[in-house]
Amino acid sequence: MSGPLLSIENLRTYFYSRAKRAFIRSVDGASLDVARGETLGVVGESGSGKTVTALSAAGLVTAAPGVIGGRITLQSNGTARELLDGLERYVRVEEEDGRVVAVEKDERGWRRHAEALMAGVRGKEIAMIFQNPRAALNPYSTVGNQLVETIRLHTGVKGEREAKERAIAWLERVRIDSPRLRFDNFPFGMSGGMCQRAMIAMALSAEPSLLVADEPTTGLDATIQSRIVELLGDLKEETGTATLLISHDISVIQRLSDRVAVMYGGTVVESGRATEVLARDAPARHPYTEALLEAIPSAEAIRNKSYLRAIEGDVLDTIEVPRGCRFYGRCNKVTDAIRERCAGLEPPLAEVSSGHKVRCWLYPTKT
Amino acid sequence: MSKTILEVTDLRKSFSQFTGLLATLTGDTRVIPAVDGVSFYLRENETVGLVGESGCGKTTVGRTILRLEEPTGGRIVFDGRDITKLSRAELRPLRRDMQMIFQDLDAGLNPAMRVRDILREALTVHERPGDAEIAARIGELLEQVNLKDSKLANFPSELSGGEKRRVGIARVLAVRPRLIVADEPTSALDISIQAQVVNLLRDLQKHLGLTYLFISHDLPLVELVSQKVAVMYLGRIVEMGLAEDIAHRPHHPYTRILWSSLSDKQNIEVSRRVRRTEVERERRAWGVFDFEQPSRGCRFAPRCPLYQQHGRPAVCTDPASEPALHDAGKGHAVACHFA
Repeated sequence: MSGPLLSIENLRTYFYSRAKRAFIRSVDGASLDVARGETLGVVGESGSGKTVTALSAAGLVTAAPGVIGGRITLQSNGTARELLDGLERYVRVEEEDGRVVAVEKDERGWRRHAEALMAGVRGKEIAMIFQNPRAALNPYSTVGNQLVETIRLHTGVKGEREAKERAIAWLERVRIDSPRLRFDNFPFGMSGGMCQRAMIAMALSAEPSLLVADEPTTGLDATIQSRIVELLGDLKEETGTATLLISHDISVIQRLSDRVAVMYGGTVVESGRATEVLARDAPARHPYTEALLEAIPSAEAIRNKSYLRAIEGDVLDTIEVPRGCRFYGRCNKVTDAIRERCAGLEPPLAEVSSGHKVRCWLYPTKT
Repeated sequence: MSKTILEVTDLRKSFSQFTGLLATLTGDTRVIPAVDGVSFYLRENETVGLVGESGCGKTTVGRTILRLEEPTGGRIVFDGRDITKLSRAELRPLRRDMQMIFQDLDAGLNPAMRVRDILREALTVHERPGDAEIAARIGELLEQVNLKDSKLANFPSELSGGEKRRVGIARVLAVRPRLIVADEPTSALDISIQAQVVNLLRDLQKHLGLTYLFISHDLPLVELVSQKVAVMYLGRIVEMGLAEDIAHRPHHPYTRILWSSLSDKQNIEVSRRVRRTEVERERRAWGVFDFEQPSRGCRFAPRCPLYQQHGRPAVCTDPASEPALHDAGKGHAVACHFA
């Protein structure tokens, strides 16, 4: 089999702000790959487009105009499925100077076609876990019944009793105490950490080839967070499910990812092996990644009670995306030699060493 | 040594839960002790960190010492004056001295008012300064929180998270407080902005001689900004001492677990393959605890690794001997039978 399990190429997902009469360019030319069995961590600040990228991949973007361009390919049962195939027919994008000025979209046709493309993919091939597990679980149904439903819908197990046994086994696998009792619990009777476990069980019980985990630990207490991360790590080894892990918490990304993509302002600014991208003294890296790592209080900074190295300025406004590098306004690494290019031309995502790509003019493009 | 600005003794605050009309009529209401006998003090120009998991009562402590909640019991002494029983009118002048930064970025920012008017309102609550003085003070506040003049004409909805936080801080500074309770001041912010705000808060403390009660669940951050740290568990302080000691030489098993769950988060260079250390195993062995009946002996016992190690001693679950804070040397206090 060739190619990565999931490949996202030049994805563009825009929304329209009526108040500002402008397009919000949430995802603006993002490309990333997830290989079979690997965990790709996507890290970035709020508004960097990481969640919208994941939602686009799962076909869950509902607000207009939504996904307006790009390619998403999923390898499924030996065939490559184009998840955005033919959708361009329903969208007309008017550009001026490389900037989108108008989007015309046949929303109903687009959605009908997109649903047809996603049939048998969402939930089955691509399963998701969300930031707020309580909101994603059905409050009117017991955790057990929701699991049974997933199992009977998406796996070969169709018998009720068999599915129930399978569901209990899954509750046990996500280390929920007394799974037989918990089977009959409603989500409101369980703690946040327990709901997150049930969600993970539900997502994995469909035996998906790709798990999309959107901020799975955010909003949980530190002690619970650490245990969920541990659980995800164990399950990854047990099941070998490829994972697209999204988090703003670098330490979570660090502990679970094989490869990392750093997003800023709707695009990927750096990607590569986790050990390389997040190493303290990487030889080449994007100034944004470096600044992010420095903003975390290090053991030394705490000991010396020194000041934190903050990134000046604010998170990029994805309405007024600058012409040049998206990070130019906050970057402290700009030199006179490259200043003009930084301000006027967006750098390409160029390979600096094998498998390690950086979108910055500091590094010469290899040919 | 600088003088004590706030002293809290045996503070209690319980909330009664409405469990139905019949229960109310028969007096059978359920009472949740959110804060259950907390004592500590703050010295002038110092920062005390208050940490614990959500629901442990840390925010309630912050709100109660400012009398935003009525305490159920205990004593709050601010600047040598008992404020536990003061009436609203008597409290009013004191509100200038004690302010709170709320976790919610939008708290205190009227969405219908421009930044200039928000600050003007804060400046004129307690005094009647002239227009020229107001303008000068607004300029000074902007400079203190490092905000551009151009933002004065903006509405809160037009500000970014970091800017909202700065306006919130400027609004608090407008009344020239001495004590600020900062409740999770950075938890709603992105990491890069978090660092800016933490630096700002520390600068302000240095220049204005502020005293902070810094409430947070972010332990490294608390260690960074605080001189002393108190760890809360289910309404009580279980350990208290110098920030450095609490972080690196914790005695109480809960503090250790709290810190270890983090230290493997912090160790960015450590291999990602999580090693099954002893602490990890202990953490897995946690039992379940009953929130509604917490006070049968030590409230941490059901989750406690030491309790298991010592073969479930009776003293830990004896209702008559809930462990009290005892001195462990050098101002370090621990509430545990075995630590």
